Amino acid sequence: MTRRVAITGLGLVSPLGNTPEIFFNALMAGKSGIRRIEADFAERLDTKIAAQAEFDPLQHFTKHKASSLDRVSQFALYAAGQAIIDAGLDMERVDKSRMGVYLGTGMGGAASVEEGYVRLYRDSAERLKPFTVLMAMNNAAASQIGLEYGLTGANLTYSTACSSSSIAIGEAFHQVRHGYADVMLAGGAEALLTFGTIKAWEALRALASEDKGNASASCKPFAADRSGLVLGEGSAIVVLEDMELAKLRGAHIYAELTGYGSGNDSSHITQPSPAGQAAAMRAALHCAGLIPSEIGYINAHGTGTPLNDPAETAAIKLAFGEHAPNIPVSSTKSMHGHLMGATSAVEFVACVLALTHGAVPPTINLQNPDPACDLDYVPNVGRRGVPLRHVMSNSFAFGGTSGVLIASRVD
Amino acid sequence: MDTFATLRDIIVEKFEKDPAEITPEATFETLEIDSLDTFDIIFSAEEKFGIKVPNEQVEIKTVQDVVNLIDKLRAAQGKV
Repeated sequence: MTRRVAITGLGLVSPLGNTPEIFFNALMAGKSGIRRIEADFAERLDTKIAAQAEFDPLQHFTKHKASSLDRVSQFALYAAGQAIIDAGLDMERVDKSRMGVYLGTGMGGAASVEEGYVRLYRDSAERLKPFTVLMAMNNAAASQIGLEYGLTGANLTYSTACSSSSIAIGEAFHQVRHGYADVMLAGGAEALLTFGTIKAWEALRALASEDKGNASASCKPFAADRSGLVLGEGSAIVVLEDMELAKLRGAHIYAELTGYGSGNDSSHITQPSPAGQAAAMRAALHCAGLIPSEIGYINAHGTGTPLNDPAETAAIKLAFGEHAPNIPVSSTKSMHGHLMGATSAVEFVACVLALTHGAVPPTINLQNPDPACDLDYVPNVGRRGVPLRHVMSNSFAFGGTSGVLIASRVD
Repeated sequence: MDTFATLRDIIVEKFEKDPAEITPEATFETLEIDSLDTFDIIFSAEEKFGIKVPNEQVEIKTVQDVVNLIDKLRAAQGKV
């Protein structure tokens, strides 16, 4: 059995605002959510920039509930709630045994883990908070969503670093497509802007240095003067639904999820392989039954690291051949930063809204082109009035797992 | 430090309860505080009273049960 899969709801917490529309408008306006880190530990960082989400948990949860949820679960619960409302799902009538949750996260409850270590090692505390395990565990966010809505369908957490939420959405697509579930909440959440995590990224020398004149312009994907990625935080969750059931209940359908490709480079723990990335793009095209010339926009992985951007450029050329130069490719990470386990879901939301608005968001901070990156990256200014039918979202990762998704217009 | 008053303050602060609801006889069940949440209350009580509640499961039904437990440990651990 193969069913068509509709995207009927979107929810999001991001460094560019906490609704999909605010987020997408910011992307089209070329706004950056990257700024100086506001935290006590910032003075001990070499890299004092990040893309923080503005999110006050006490606006959304009781004090007790908030204190029993890591920030990552707070983001995910809020995004899931938005997505359910946006989809117009009547939770009294949904068959909850046929509805599940697949989320991606890189570090789960990073702040709770770190808080525990601070108490233990620095403060020599006798005890850790009783909720430490339940807040820190990687599946906390997905579990909390299942609990909140009483969903008894499959509930899984994928952790493949930067491609985690692409994999979660792709695997949720399979759940619906092959009839294991009727509705899936799928996406990712990440809240890793802690002192320890940022220091670990610093040590890897993967982070962008601060732009001297303008901190918010520090992430420069595909530019000759790019210097690395900027860490971000947030969550995005989409509602995937059997197309026939969605039509039956008169749901608003944003788009159809038509393609998913995944694979592993298996060549190096960090260095990307254009061959591996191209294979995942081809697999997604094959899944969607599309040829390269039918893709109208690619949301690139586009981290802004020296290695990623030329490798991804080469991969797109391998997968798309002569069509590669004709396809607008942009990295919205230039604006929202790299949300790690949540990044592909956030970028997938950008793709879906690009499709529905006929609008391609730009790659900002691209003033100095790199000869090794010679595609159309939609430099600095977004494009409106672009008739898009099929869009692709690329995600690649440390550890080598690629996730590529394709969304298609539904007429 | 009055054990009951301190404990009541902990519960009120954590769960945003009306102080009048927190009586010695009140059960955690009627207060809608589950066993996991009572661990959280005991955690705060340990910090507040400077005691260590052993990890073995203890039977706790009412607020007074926790008061008794704390008083017993304060006496035994010389933290009165």
